[in-house]
Amino acid sequence: MIKNYFKIAWRNLWKGRVFNLMNITGLAVAVACCTLIFLTVYYEFSYDNFHDKLDRIYQVYNVANRPKGVEKNSAMPIPMASAFKAEYPAVKYVTRSGNMGGVVTYGNQKVDGDIHFVDPDFLKMFSFPLVQGNRNAALSELNSAVITEKAAKKIFGSKPALNQTIIINSNNEEKPFLVTGVAKDYPSNSSITFDILVRFEHFPQYKVEKNNWDSRSHIVLAEFNEGYNPQNFSKQIKSFVNKYYAGDIKNLKRDGAKPDANGDIFTLALAPFANNHFNNDIGGVEGDAISKTYPLSLVVIGCFILLIACINFINLSVARGFTRAREVGVRKTLGAGKWQLLTQFWVETIMVCFASTVVGLLLCTLLINQFKAMFKSKISLAMLLEPAHLAGIVVMFLAVTAIAGFYPALMMVRYKTVAVLKGKISGGKPGKLRNTLLVIQFTLSTLLIICTIITWQQISYLSNKPLGYNKTEVLSIPVGQNAKGSDALQLMRNELRNNSNVESVSGAYMNMGKGNDGSSMRSVLGFIYHDREVRTHLQRIDYDYIKTLDIKLLDGREFDSKFGNDSTGLVINESMARELGGKNLIGSTLPIMGGESPAHIIGIVKNFNFQSLHDDIEPLTMTMLKDFEINYIFVKVKPGNLVGAFDNIKSNWHRLYPNAEFKASWLNENTERQYLSERRLSGIFVSGAVLAIIISCIGLLAISIMMVVQRNKEIGIRKVLGANVLGIVMMLSQDFMKLVLVAAILSFPVAWWVMSHWLQSFAYRVDIHWWVFALSTALALILAFVTISFQSIKAAIANPVKSLRSE
Amino acid sequence: MIKITNLEKFYRTEEVETVALNKLNLEINTGEFVAIMGPSGCGKSTLLNILGLLDDPDGGSYLFNGTEVAHFNERKRADLRKHNIGFVFQSFNLIDELTVFENVELPLIYTGVNSADRKQRVEEVLTKMQIMHRRNHYPQQLSGGQQQRVAIARAVVNKPKLILADEPTGNLDSSNGNEVMELLTDLNEQGTTIIMVTHSEHDARYSHRIVRLLDGHTVVENIMM
Repeated sequence: MIKNYFKIAWRNLWKGRVFNLMNITGLAVAVACCTLIFLTVYYEFSYDNFHDKLDRIYQVYNVANRPKGVEKNSAMPIPMASAFKAEYPAVKYVTRSGNMGGVVTYGNQKVDGDIHFVDPDFLKMFSFPLVQGNRNAALSELNSAVITEKAAKKIFGSKPALNQTIIINSNNEEKPFLVTGVAKDYPSNSSITFDILVRFEHFPQYKVEKNNWDSRSHIVLAEFNEGYNPQNFSKQIKSFVNKYYAGDIKNLKRDGAKPDANGDIFTLALAPFANNHFNNDIGGVEGDAISKTYPLSLVVIGCFILLIACINFINLSVARGFTRAREVGVRKTLGAGKWQLLTQFWVETIMVCFASTVVGLLLCTLLINQFKAMFKSKISLAMLLEPAHLAGIVVMFLAVTAIAGFYPALMMVRYKTVAVLKGKISGGKPGKLRNTLLVIQFTLSTLLIICTIITWQQISYLSNKPLGYNKTEVLSIPVGQNAKGSDALQLMRNELRNNSNVESVSGAYMNMGKGNDGSSMRSVLGFIYHDREVRTHLQRIDYDYIKTLDIKLLDGREFDSKFGNDSTGLVINESMARELGGKNLIGSTLPIMGGESPAHIIGIVKNFNFQSLHDDIEPLTMTMLKDFEINYIFVKVKPGNLVGAFDNIKSNWHRLYPNAEFKASWLNENTERQYLSERRLSGIFVSGAVLAIIISCIGLLAISIMMVVQRNKEIGIRKVLGANVLGIVMMLSQDFMKLVLVAAILSFPVAWWVMSHWLQSFAYRVDIHWWVFALSTALALILAFVTISFQSIKAAIANPVKSLRSE
Repeated sequence: MIKITNLEKFYRTEEVETVALNKLNLEINTGEFVAIMGPSGCGKSTLLNILGLLDDPDGGSYLFNGTEVAHFNERKRADLRKHNIGFVFQSFNLIDELTVFENVELPLIYTGVNSADRKQRVEEVLTKMQIMHRRNHYPQQLSGGQQQRVAIARAVVNKPKLILADEPTGNLDSSNGNEVMELLTDLNEQGTTIIMVTHSEHDARYSHRIVRLLDGHTVVENIMM
C-alpha cells in the first residue's frame, strides 16, 4: 500500500512537474531563509547560556526617579560591591567589572590586549574554566593575571605561560603581572570578552575613588544563594540605599523628584544576567547588548516568508486538485476510503516538502557566507547538526507538511463523487480561500516594501542631516594605548605644522560618532547651580577644537593658548546655556569640579549633534581639564584631495609611532557607523521584501498558468467574437489586480503602526508620507501585473481555433 | 435484489427546483440484465448514481438485498459499494497515471486483498478480457475499445453481484461497441446482475428488460423475448 502511494505520488508529481518545480523553488527558498534566520535568532538567544549558574547571576543597577523621568544607570561606586556583599545576606559572590585596552609586553614581544578588571569571585561565578592554574586561587594575589589560551598563544607562542611575568601598559601606567592561570577560550556567544583578567584594584582611579560613593565608573555583578527570589529586592535593599545613597536621594528630592509606586525616589534593582545580551535599558553591561527588536523582526520576517511559501503550496495544490477531481471520483467509486485518499495526497505533499527541505538546506550552505557578512551573524552550518536544531528542522518540515498539505488533501477528498465524475468541478471557481490567501501574501509583501522604503528614507536622512560640524574633511585618529594622548597631540601638531594639506589640528577625550577603535564613551556630570542640580555631558578638548570641527561660535571665544588661564575656562553649547538660564553667561563661574576650583564660561557654541541622532542635543560643557586624557586627535584637511591627505597624515603618524596602528577615519564614516544596527534592520527588510515578493509572484505565476488553462475555451470564444489582445489581458488580470489592491490597503495601518513605532526611537526622524504607501502599492501592482502578463498575453495572442478544437 | 419505492430526487439551485426522479418504483431481480432508456434529462443517470450508492435520494425507499440503504452514511455506502457493485462509465474513467494492471488492481487494494492474490486475480480477468498483452501500458496508449475492456475488467475484478454501466458504448465505434456488449452479456450469463443506461436501441436489445423513463418516472417496461 505504502509503496503504491509513493509510486503514484511520484508519477503525479512528474506529470505536474512545472507546478511542482515552482512549489519546490518557493518552499526551498523559504526553508533556506528560515533556517538561516532561525539559526541566527537561536544564536542571539543562546548568549551566555554556557554559564552553569546563569540563573543566579544578576547585575545591579540604580533607578533614579528624576523630575524629567525615570533614569536607569548601571555605573556603580567602587566601595559598593564589598558593602553589598557584606550587608545583603543573599549575595554569595560579587564582582566589579571594568574593561580597558592595554599593551602587553613579554620580552621583546608587544601585543594589544583586552584587559578585564574583576574581583576574585569572578572566576567562581562565571564558567570560564582554567586549563592551567587553580580557579579558586588564580586571582588571590594583587598582581595575578589570568589569560585566555588564545592570548597566551599570541604572547608566549609555544612557550608555557604559567608563572611568567608580563608587563601591562594600560591607561599609561606600566605594571608587572604574574600569570597564575590560563583560561579555556570562551565561546563566541559570550557577552563577557577578555584577553586578560586582572584584579579590580588596578582599575584607573581606583586609589583615588576607592571610598568615594559619588564617583561611578564600573558595573557590579552578583551571584545569589540558590533559590533566591529577587522579587522583594527593592524592599530589602531600602536601608542599604538610604545608608549609602543619602546624597543622591537628598539631591533628587531638592530637584522635585516624585517617588515611584514603592515610595522610592532612588533605589537599586537587579537585571538578570541571562538577559544581558538584550539589556540595552540600563546603560553599561558586559559586551554589546543588542535590541530585541532585531532578532524578533528576523523571526517575524522568517515566519512571513514561510507563510507565503505555504500559501503558494496550498493555492497550487488546490488549483491542481481541480484537474484531479475525476481521479478522486473514480477512486471513491472503486471504494477508496477517506483516509486512504488523504494519505495518498499527503504522501505527495511529503515528497514535495522533503525535496524542498533538501534543496533549501543545500541553498543554505551556498548562501551562508553572504548571509553572515550581511547580517553580522556568527552562525555556522555545524550548528545545524545539533540535536535541538535537527529536531527544529523536523518540526518545521512537519509543520509545513501539515499546514500546506492537509487542507488541499481534505478538500479533494470532500469532492462530491457524482459531480466530479460528471466533470462539474473541473472548471475552477476562484474560491474565497485562494483569494484570501493571495491577499495575505500581498499584504505581507506590501508591508515589507513600505518598511523598506521608510527605513531607507530614515537612514538617508541620518546620513545627510547637517550635524552642526564638518564631518567630511575632518579626520579622527584614535591615539590608542601606545602613547599618552596629550603628548601624541603635541607631536602631531608639530609634525603637521608644515603640511600644506592640513588646516588645523586638535584633540578631545570623546570621539565624534564611532571610530575604528570601536569604542564610544560618555561622561555625564551633575553639579549644584543656583540651588538645583544641573546635568551636563562633559568633553575634554584642546586648543582649536571649535575651529577644526567648524563648530559655530555664538558668543565669546574658544580656548586659546594666548590666554594664560584657559585651563579653568569652559565652552558650553546652546542647550547648556538654556539649562543655566540663558543670558550674559560669559564670565559666569560653574562649580563643575566641586566648589574649590570654579571654572568660568568663555564661550557659547551653536548646538551640534555630538551624540547620534537617536538623542536630542543635550547640555554639553567643554573644558581643558587635565583629569581627562586626550584619546582622539582631529585633523581638518583642505577639501579636494582627501585620499592624498589621508596617506600623508598616515605616514606622519608612522614616523612618530612606527609600531602603532593608524586607525583613523573621517568623521562621516564615524557617524555612519552609529547607524549600523539601523542599516542591518534595513538590510533585513530589503531581503525580506525581495524574497516575499519573489515567492508571492512565483505563486501568482503558477495560479495564472492554471487559470489560463481553465479559461482557455472562454478565451477562444471571446476572440472569435472579436475581443482584442488588450481586452483579454485586462480581463484575465483585473481580478488579481483587485486582490493586490485590497492587500496593499490592508497593509497600510500595520505598516504605519510598525514604522512610526520604530521612528520613535530617533530624536531626529523623517515623517511618514502618503506617497510611500502609494509607491509601494504601485510597485506591488506592477509586479503582479507583469507576472500575470506572462501567461495572459500568451493566451490572448494564441490562435483561438486551437483552443476551441481541443475541446 | 433491488427494490425501490417512491424514490425521489430533486436538484435545487437558488431559483429553480428540478425534479430528477418523481416517486419512481422499480424492482430488479438477481441475474437480470436491465436497460434504462429515455431522453436526455429524464433522470437515467441520477437513478444509476443512486442505485450505485454514489448519490442519496431525497425521498422514498431503496432496498438492496433486503436492506434499506437509502440513508446509509458515506462510510457504509463505500463499504457496500466496494464489495457488491462494479461501475462502467461512458468515458471509461481510467486513471491516466496508472498502468492497465494498476487500474484493474485498484479495487482489490481498497478491499484489502493481499498482493499475491491481487496479481493472480488481475491477470485472470485481464486474460478473460483479452487485454493481458497490454497490462503494462497506460490508458492513453490504448484504443477506446481496449480502454473500455480495461474498465470492465476493473468493474468485475472484485466479483461484484451488480454491474452498473452508464452508456458503456457511448464513446465507441459499432464494432468495439458490440464487443463490449458481448462481454456484458457473458458476465450476465455467469450470474452478474447488470443495469445499463443507454441511448442505443441496438444495445438495449442485449438486455432482458427495458425500463423507459420520462420526467423522472417509469412510463413503460418492455420485456425482451
